[in-house]
Amino acid sequence: MRDPRVEKLADLITGYALGLGEGHAFRIDGEESAIPLIASMYRFALSRGALPYTHVRPAGVEEILLAEGNNEQLAYIPESERQQSEQLDAWATIWSESNTRAMTRADPERRKRQLAAHYRMVNRRWGRISAGELTWCGTLFPTEAHAQDAEMSLAEYEDFVYGACHVRPDDDPIAHWESTSAELAARARQLETVRELRIVGPGTDLRVVVEGRPWLPSDGRHNMPDGEVFTSPVETGTEGDIYFAFPSIFQGREVEDVRLRFSEGRVVHAEASSGEDYLRALIATDEGSSVLGEVAFGLNYEIDRFTRNILFDEKIGGTMHVALGGGFSEAGTQNISDLHWDLICDLRENGEVYADGALVWKAGAFVAEAAVEHV
Amino acid sequence: MSDPRLGRLADVVVGYSTGVQPGDVVRIDGNRPSTPLIREIYRAAVRAGGHPSAELLIDETAEDLLREGSDAQLDWVPFDVPWNAEHGDVWITIDAPQNTKYLSGIDPARMARRVKGREAYQAQILERFARGEFRWVLCGFPTEASAQDAGMSLSQFEELVYRAAFLDAEDPVGAWQEFGNRLERIGSLLDSASELRVVGEDTDLTLGVEGRSWIRSNGIANLPDGEVFTGPVETSVEGTIRFSFPAMVRGRSADGVVLRFEAGEVVEATARRGEEFLRHMIGIDDGARRVGEFAFGLNDEVQDYTGSLLLDEKMGGTIHLALGRSIPQTGGENASALHWDMVCDLRRGGEVYADGELIYRDGAFLNGAG
Repeated sequence: MRDPRVEKLADLITGYALGLGEGHAFRIDGEESAIPLIASMYRFALSRGALPYTHVRPAGVEEILLAEGNNEQLAYIPESERQQSEQLDAWATIWSESNTRAMTRADPERRKRQLAAHYRMVNRRWGRISAGELTWCGTLFPTEAHAQDAEMSLAEYEDFVYGACHVRPDDDPIAHWESTSAELAARARQLETVRELRIVGPGTDLRVVVEGRPWLPSDGRHNMPDGEVFTSPVETGTEGDIYFAFPSIFQGREVEDVRLRFSEGRVVHAEASSGEDYLRALIATDEGSSVLGEVAFGLNYEIDRFTRNILFDEKIGGTMHVALGGGFSEAGTQNISDLHWDLICDLRENGEVYADGALVWKAGAFVAEAAVEHV
Repeated sequence: MSDPRLGRLADVVVGYSTGVQPGDVVRIDGNRPSTPLIREIYRAAVRAGGHPSAELLIDETAEDLLREGSDAQLDWVPFDVPWNAEHGDVWITIDAPQNTKYLSGIDPARMARRVKGREAYQAQILERFARGEFRWVLCGFPTEASAQDAGMSLSQFEELVYRAAFLDAEDPVGAWQEFGNRLERIGSLLDSASELRVVGEDTDLTLGVEGRSWIRSNGIANLPDGEVFTGPVETSVEGTIRFSFPAMVRGRSADGVVLRFEAGEVVEATARRGEEFLRHMIGIDDGARRVGEFAFGLNDEVQDYTGSLLLDEKMGGTIHLALGRSIPQTGGENASALHWDMVCDLRRGGEVYADGELIYRDGAFLNGAG
């Protein structure tokens, strides 16, 4: 039997997130484990009059290229992929790994080469998204591998994922995401009046300058689930210490108990209880990788625990996250890097955030609601 | 552990059938059960220096489109299809059905409409293939569904498919090359014929083949393989033929098909089962009434009907003809959205005459030709 939550999620993404309509060329990408959601999105796309097609990856293929390809093969982007990036009206990416660690043992230099080529195409795609020519949404389909990372059974993990997306049987997903969108937009407008944030918590006292930078709401149009507001901080303004109690993961490898000290915007000291070499190597990736490209508030309170997946972890209600490396052009960033590494700071118990000296956030929530402008 | 035969099959597909070269853009696709073989083919293509991409074709979406799609949706062709037809170097497609009958309930007219939208790209691929600019292979991969149609267990069916692909040989590529010598002897015998006459049970059919090329098909475009085929002169086919096995196309079949031809066109078509479907398909366009292909099946590892066309049309001792589109390198000129192969068993009492001379009897060529 089809899981009605999968149907609701497919309906939400093809409708609310992507706005599919008559004649829209729509591509769905996913691994074979995501076929139930792929097939469901395809069906909803047909019923909306769109022109859907799928790119379903067989499991276990990508790591072959990573393990055995030469430099030219690793950096190769098919010309037809480039063209499709230009031609599509809508695109959905479904993450659903059969094994989240399949690439973990690969040579990092080789992986970097492959990702660098891939990012160039993704950046071009973001150009069309920002220009309003293309809609894109990334989501996750629950698999045993993701459940295992989250330390849950598959059934528990499905409940968690569909809860975070608000597609449970009694949910009204569109009403939820529309009201969330209004709240996040109001919060973003309020944060745009702030010059400096000070984040205080266990092992943490960090000042981040955000003056003049636009704050953006993540309201379920590019990610599902979603729920954050973010900006790219002023590159030279970060000062102080921050401690990350959750493991910090990049490309499947974990670093634990990361502590960073910033001075004049740059990391000047970095330590970890495990994976410290990897941490230092990532910070040394390039000129921009020791500078913050993002600061954000996680505001999806259905996501109440760490599950080793950034799509969820960065939105855990009551956390903040910062990213080392490249920022967002729409948030006014000047920082460019091949790295974008989100690190999550749990502020749910003892955290406080001050905006230009005034307490705005305590114990995992804003102290006052932002005024929603009804239009 | 993955079946070691898959690695051997991948080596034949990549090293021999398509001869992947460094820098080749290689598209690999197949039905959902084909993942284990796709992985091995992908690996072999990476090792050969190609740029492979791999994709699974999903029955669920194909069914939904055919069942519910509007005309505009049925007509639309995704962007990668024309790109592959125009620019691709190699296309490896794997036939690995998860249910051979999943399209049985679909209106054939809607199916024909979808095929029609892709006809131009199909033709472009065949032309580029004929000019040697594009390499294409259809490779069989045994599944429970195809084993079930063949009336055997999966492991029995695997044995059959891999034996028919010559994977049992010490050097499968060498075995295909050697087999090619046999096809060459048969092909050169047929090259000199201008008219063939096929005689068998309820069958007496003549076809003109003068000026047409006989293609020796030895593991290049199909795997398993083993046939010699041409496109007969479009207006030349005369007489009657009865097909021995169910004729399947697009997930449906007609059984006990008898066709009578005059001046190259079907003038009478009957079937014990599926006659309405047969008549519908013959009527989809002008070319569907004419013969686009005539072939001798020459793979003696295939002895029994399996319900998988890839095997059945290669069965040693049979001939087959296809209604519809001809293959350009034969010199055949018949255009159609249809290409429907039907197999006639000549192993018991069948005869073939070339310009009046008996060249084939009881399923075998005479005088050491094959």
